[in-house]
Amino acid sequence: MWLVATCTATTLVLAGCSSGTPTGGGGGGGGAAPTDGTLTVGLLGDIGQPPDPDVYYANNGTAIMINAYEGLVQYENDTDAVKIAPRLAESWDVNPGNDVYTFHLRKGVTFHDGTPFTSAAVDVAFKRRIAVKGGAAYMVEAVKSVATPDDYTAVITLNKPNTAFLSYLASPFGPKMESPEGLKANAGSDDAQTYLSSHDLGTGPYELTTAQTGVKYEMTQYDGYWGQKSPFKKIELPVYTDESALELAFDNGTVDTIVAALPSSSLDKYASKDGVANYFLPTLQGALVTVNSSHDFFKTPEARVAFLKSIDQAKLVNQVLGKRSEVATTMYAKGMIPNGADKQAISYDAGALKAYVAALPPNAPRTLVIGYANGNVNAQSMANLVVANLQTDGITATAQGYDTSTVFGWINNPPSGPDAFIDGNNGPDGGDPYMWGHVFWDASGGINYFGCQSTEVNDLLNQALGTGDTATYVKAGDLYGQTGCFLNLSHNKNWVVAQKWLTGVPESQNIGANELNFSLLGIGG
Amino acid sequence: MTSFLVRRLSTAVLILLILSFVIFLLQSVSPGDPARAYVGANASNEMVAAERQRLGLNDPMLAQFTRFIGGLFTGDLGRSLRTRQSVTADIATYLPATAELVVAAFLIALALAALYALSGALRWPGASVGRGVLLLLATAPPFLLALVGIIVFFGQLGWLPARGVGDFQDPGPFGMQMVDTLLHGQADAFVDALRHLILPAVVLAIAPAVAIGRVFRSSLQGVLGVDYVRTARSKGLGETYVVVHHVVRNAIGPALSMAGLQLGFMFAGVVVVEQIFSWPGIGNYLAASIPVADFPAIAGVTLVLGAIYVLSNVVVDLLQAIADPRIAAE
Repeated sequence: MWLVATCTATTLVLAGCSSGTPTGGGGGGGGAAPTDGTLTVGLLGDIGQPPDPDVYYANNGTAIMINAYEGLVQYENDTDAVKIAPRLAESWDVNPGNDVYTFHLRKGVTFHDGTPFTSAAVDVAFKRRIAVKGGAAYMVEAVKSVATPDDYTAVITLNKPNTAFLSYLASPFGPKMESPEGLKANAGSDDAQTYLSSHDLGTGPYELTTAQTGVKYEMTQYDGYWGQKSPFKKIELPVYTDESALELAFDNGTVDTIVAALPSSSLDKYASKDGVANYFLPTLQGALVTVNSSHDFFKTPEARVAFLKSIDQAKLVNQVLGKRSEVATTMYAKGMIPNGADKQAISYDAGALKAYVAALPPNAPRTLVIGYANGNVNAQSMANLVVANLQTDGITATAQGYDTSTVFGWINNPPSGPDAFIDGNNGPDGGDPYMWGHVFWDASGGINYFGCQSTEVNDLLNQALGTGDTATYVKAGDLYGQTGCFLNLSHNKNWVVAQKWLTGVPESQNIGANELNFSLLGIGG
Repeated sequence: MTSFLVRRLSTAVLILLILSFVIFLLQSVSPGDPARAYVGANASNEMVAAERQRLGLNDPMLAQFTRFIGGLFTGDLGRSLRTRQSVTADIATYLPATAELVVAAFLIALALAALYALSGALRWPGASVGRGVLLLLATAPPFLLALVGIIVFFGQLGWLPARGVGDFQDPGPFGMQMVDTLLHGQADAFVDALRHLILPAVVLAIAPAVAIGRVFRSSLQGVLGVDYVRTARSKGLGETYVVVHHVVRNAIGPALSMAGLQLGFMFAGVVVVEQIFSWPGIGNYLAASIPVADFPAIAGVTLVLGAIYVLSNVVVDLLQAIADPRIAAE
């Protein structure tokens, strides 16, 4: 009794004292539009790495990257087509050899430190990216020189033809323009990495004004921004580590929108909630199955193909991912190859694996482990369904979760990994088909977990990189499909839950970023 | 006493060295790739390999361990692969918030433990109900308690924030919101910081409160039956006076020993609570470092938490030795 009385009294006194956080009875769905010009975007988990555009190479912090910084180009907003659009470059020319890119830069742009953006910044940004050695440094490794005939023209010459170069620049992880003066003034001993872990030197619509790792980030509208400005003077990005706490915060209006953070299991809850708007926006991401060809059971393409055919793709995707995905029918991401010419050959065949297993010698292994990344609820659900299905095919299967660091360590020792791995949501850095084929199919690409590759496929991809020839990409996809190491399960969408008064959501997102450009959002209704 | 102190401290150093070695042993057998954490998930394998070499991760484990121990003597715990900052600097940034949370939780635990024990000894009305509630809460794992707390006090009642610390932005001097707001004379910010502190601190305090309270209660009951207490009662002294002036002072020793141990446990157990409440302490820092195999950060935090635990045990030993010199003589 004394315990309850003490706790309640203390809490009531403090709740009464507070003039602060807007809270209220839960459940109602939808808070009122803010009157203080602050938009609150809830993050599920910290951004994971310093918000430095040359270091940052994860997912959760992309919103900070694309609002504090700008690249020369971006993907076009509000379309599921892979189209390059202007940003700090108003236009560009590419020579017939695909190795010289000339950018005509926007005038009247200033960095957040007040200095003007000119062509000199391009070379500085590229050189810093190489010096800092972040994961996306590869995007400028092929740059041979950057010429600046005048303040608003940058001529970039590559070591060899590369038709994906514009996609590199449009990627949210692509090189962003940083104030050369600011970099110099804050260089320290680490190329300004310490400074950029809590500040920014970009040209974007918002400045990073608070960076409390694991707690919150805040961005303040940049008065000198050259483009459209939103009514939101301040963006708060509080970090929640628990999904239910984040949902509670959204439900009572503490959080205004959640971008690509909630699991599919919450779809039904928000589909029918008053005052809430759901958006399903196009992305380059997908759910994928990767098969470990180093394991005895999967030594032959026949075994791998039989396994992939046993996966009821439509059922799996519809049951687990629901509205946020559509069943993938292509080898590449949706829209990468025109007219869906990259058709995926493997299709569901309920009896394929059963027949294969029945023909195996009696002492042949019949146990499989299906992996998924810890914390990825959707992938876990899909792995469980696949496991259940395998049991009916005469295979003893288990689903097992792995930490991210473990997953990326398998490439050094593929036999240490599971028999197959299900990605709930993964994708390339950009929309060029080379970027998809290279990361998923080439053992050196980064996301080919078990190193299952084909020299012929790699050669075709490298050949297509120089020419941009679609037919070559299609052929590479066909050949890789025959290895049975890869199944594109779904084309995933970016599920955005927002209070109904928030406008401009589809118009503020593009296929590469999976995050919102806050300057294009508004208040309506 | 000096030799006792030297013995205890030497043991503490040895334990920390063993702890460091175990961490490195785990690193060497772990399938994770720390270099991947440094360059990011989608980096090419060539880049990861180059970084692995540059970071010295290809060196023999003994060489890496020797380098780590060498760094300890200069206060250098290496560089975090995730934040790219010095681990020492990271810990200096995050430790004050953890200290603030743990100290607050410890004070709450002491208060609850005292209520738990005294309510029984003094036979307060409803004491058994209060003890029952506390015991019930203590049986729940901290993450569950935290989630229930968030759902009730944030989601349903809207009384307390669900996450983070207060909004006070002025730096320092201590990196503890409540202390700093007081020093800056910011009453509103102090209340805001306090509101943010209540839920995580109470969640962290419940289990230690019961542990300390049970020891204290048992000790109180033992002392309540001794001759001098009966004598005091026979002189007509009130029960409260007897308990406060004659019983508590003689019964508090074991409870203080338990409190010291619980303080160490609280530092070690803060990880889950900080993570759920997005509290910017070393527990949250550690939780973010583990999935990406940021071993310098993991090793640094583990060592600091280990040192705090070992030191709190040394302090408890010392206090016991002061109270009972026979312990030091053993």
